[in-house]
Amino acid sequence: MTATITTTPPMASASRSRAPVARLTWLLARPSAQSAALLVLPGLAFAVTTALVLIVLGGGMMFSRWTLDDNADATVYQMLSVLALVLLLVPLASLGGAAARLSARRRDDRLATLRLLGATPGTVTQMTVLESTAIAVLGSLVGIVLYLIAMPFVGLIPFAGEAIGAGALWVGPGVLLIVVVAVAALAAISAAIGLRRVTISPLGVRTRQTAPKMHWTRIVVGVLAIIGAYALLGSMSGIADAALTIAVLGTGIGIGIAVLNLIGPWALGIAAKLSLRRAKSAAQLIAARGILESPKAAWRQVSGVAMTSFIAVVAGTGIAVVSSLTGDYEEDTMLLLADIRTGIIITVVTSFLMVACSVGVNQAANILDRRDLYVSLDRLGMPREVIEKFRSRTVMSPLRFVTIGSALVGGVLVFPLVGISFIVAPASLIVIAGCLIGGVFLVWLALRATGPVLTRVLREPERL
Amino acid sequence: MNFSTPPFPANATPHTTAFSAPAILSGSALVKTYGSSTALAGMDISIRAGESVAIMGASGSGKTTLLHTLAGITSPDSGRVDFQSPSGSVDVTAMNERDRSRLRREAFGFVFQQGLLIPELTAIENVALPLMLAGYPRREAEGRAQHWLAALGLAGMEARRIGELSGGQAQRVAIARAQVTGATVVFADEPTGALDSATSEDVLNALLGSTVGQGHALVIVTHDDAVAARCSRVIHLRDGRVLPSAQTAGSTGRAVSA
Repeated sequence: MTATITTTPPMASASRSRAPVARLTWLLARPSAQSAALLVLPGLAFAVTTALVLIVLGGGMMFSRWTLDDNADATVYQMLSVLALVLLLVPLASLGGAAARLSARRRDDRLATLRLLGATPGTVTQMTVLESTAIAVLGSLVGIVLYLIAMPFVGLIPFAGEAIGAGALWVGPGVLLIVVVAVAALAAISAAIGLRRVTISPLGVRTRQTAPKMHWTRIVVGVLAIIGAYALLGSMSGIADAALTIAVLGTGIGIGIAVLNLIGPWALGIAAKLSLRRAKSAAQLIAARGILESPKAAWRQVSGVAMTSFIAVVAGTGIAVVSSLTGDYEEDTMLLLADIRTGIIITVVTSFLMVACSVGVNQAANILDRRDLYVSLDRLGMPREVIEKFRSRTVMSPLRFVTIGSALVGGVLVFPLVGISFIVAPASLIVIAGCLIGGVFLVWLALRATGPVLTRVLREPERL
Repeated sequence: MNFSTPPFPANATPHTTAFSAPAILSGSALVKTYGSSTALAGMDISIRAGESVAIMGASGSGKTTLLHTLAGITSPDSGRVDFQSPSGSVDVTAMNERDRSRLRREAFGFVFQQGLLIPELTAIENVALPLMLAGYPRREAEGRAQHWLAALGLAGMEARRIGELSGGQAQRVAIARAQVTGATVVFADEPTGALDSATSEDVLNALLGSTVGQGHALVIVTHDDAVAARCSRVIHLRDGRVLPSAQTAGSTGRAVSA
């Protein structure tokens, strides 16, 4: 059927064409306008983040409420719970950041196009921040439900000789509100920062021209920081004050974590350059180039494991120290030692859970981000096994590098605290090996779990 | 597999022997529907070695579906696609996903509107990739890729990433990638759609020269009359069917047949 156009459509008036940001955002965010997966994935990640934050906070608050009347070792429990919170902070921030980036990155291309069509930088930023924040709020509300469901199960864990009970983990409405606001703020800030690239250079995002550069000065700063942290932790034996001990320990571990994140991407870039030179197969070539494209992004995918490796060394030596103390102690002390073991295991397991979620989210985001590439490779006849192989190599090669590197940094920092005998004690080595194998297996599992996303992208590329 | 070498006539014209050559690729009674819309409504088509066939039609007329079906990317609901490989005739529609993937990798070449090259690889790595997938050592694959890039006027740009190339240069990299394995049929989907007219002319010359100029077949989906006019045959589609020549006369002035 053909139609003859006899009149030209009237021009939209300036006032009518200026659609409110909220309306435009809703229009572009509707499930009919894009795949539901793009909204559900970050929402789910925010939900898991919120639930884990609330459980961890609930545990921490429970110990903080203990008084010396409740338990003679209340101060020790509080010290150790603060230490566990510090250790869990980075994997938690990493998971939250992954969720926020996923939420924001999904919109990069579309918003770059809007920008090219003439939308102002302000409109583009407001739209993304609004959408990411809305997803984060919805996700964190689901997270609260998950937290409430998990409470009775987590409450079964025994501390001080009895199950802590679901009620002990309740954080109260005030904290619930603060967590929702904090998760929303994290999403909003991540979206705004991520969008700076789009608003400054929309063409750069459309054509993916920019390849971030890393600088060697990172390693100099990192090595100096490690030496400083080593000296700091070495001086701990002379400190008698408990609060100061916690502060020094926290600072030392904090420096270790910061150095890992500072040097990690740079070192990963160097390793990828070497792999590129040696690459023989298509999968090796693409994986090495993929890491080199953004060592920071490659690092981020596995940085959670860097933390678990680090934690594994701290936890392993901690268990070894505790195991060495099983002499003729009073019942209370034996209970405390058993609880320390339980705490260490909870910390490690929680960090693993966060890493698994983080890797899953990052991998799903990666597939959706690069769907054009995967579809074109499939059309050119690249076997699915080769696609899976380079996808796997892009994650597992940095992972190998990261686990060994971070375990070494952990060992260096723990050495002045406990000495070499506890680091290489059988109990310590078993925990460290178990953690590393478990961490690598979890990442591999998370990677495999995203396979169906790739299958769907290849089957129906036009729908995603 | 017999991989081709790059030298080809700079300004190749459609192969004159194409009309007498046997069909290298043919589709018969092809039907493909997406929900309630029919993309291919019982279409018959044959492509001969050494000819260039332009497929034209409005959006939604079935052009890209036809291209994807002939190339084994999409399976038709009914009908069959036959390809004359050096080892004999193969029914593409009867192949499983793995074999079709292998066929695309080894016997066909592809050039898309956006090039769809791997952005983090360099030009030479992109071109060498199909050879590496076929088991060639990297050094040899890159050596052949370098010859193809040079033949297409991209000498000295081997180490550039795709984002550092212009649209026309990126398309020539895609052409080199499509032909480096010596593909006997090259499928191009709006290869000049995102280019200005002068660059479009250059890219088309390179595409025709490296395919038809070597005796290979080129199937090209296009909206551009100027592109179609350079092809040896033009097929117009509407609602999943090939339009009779009377309804398309005057559009390009080229031969119209399925």
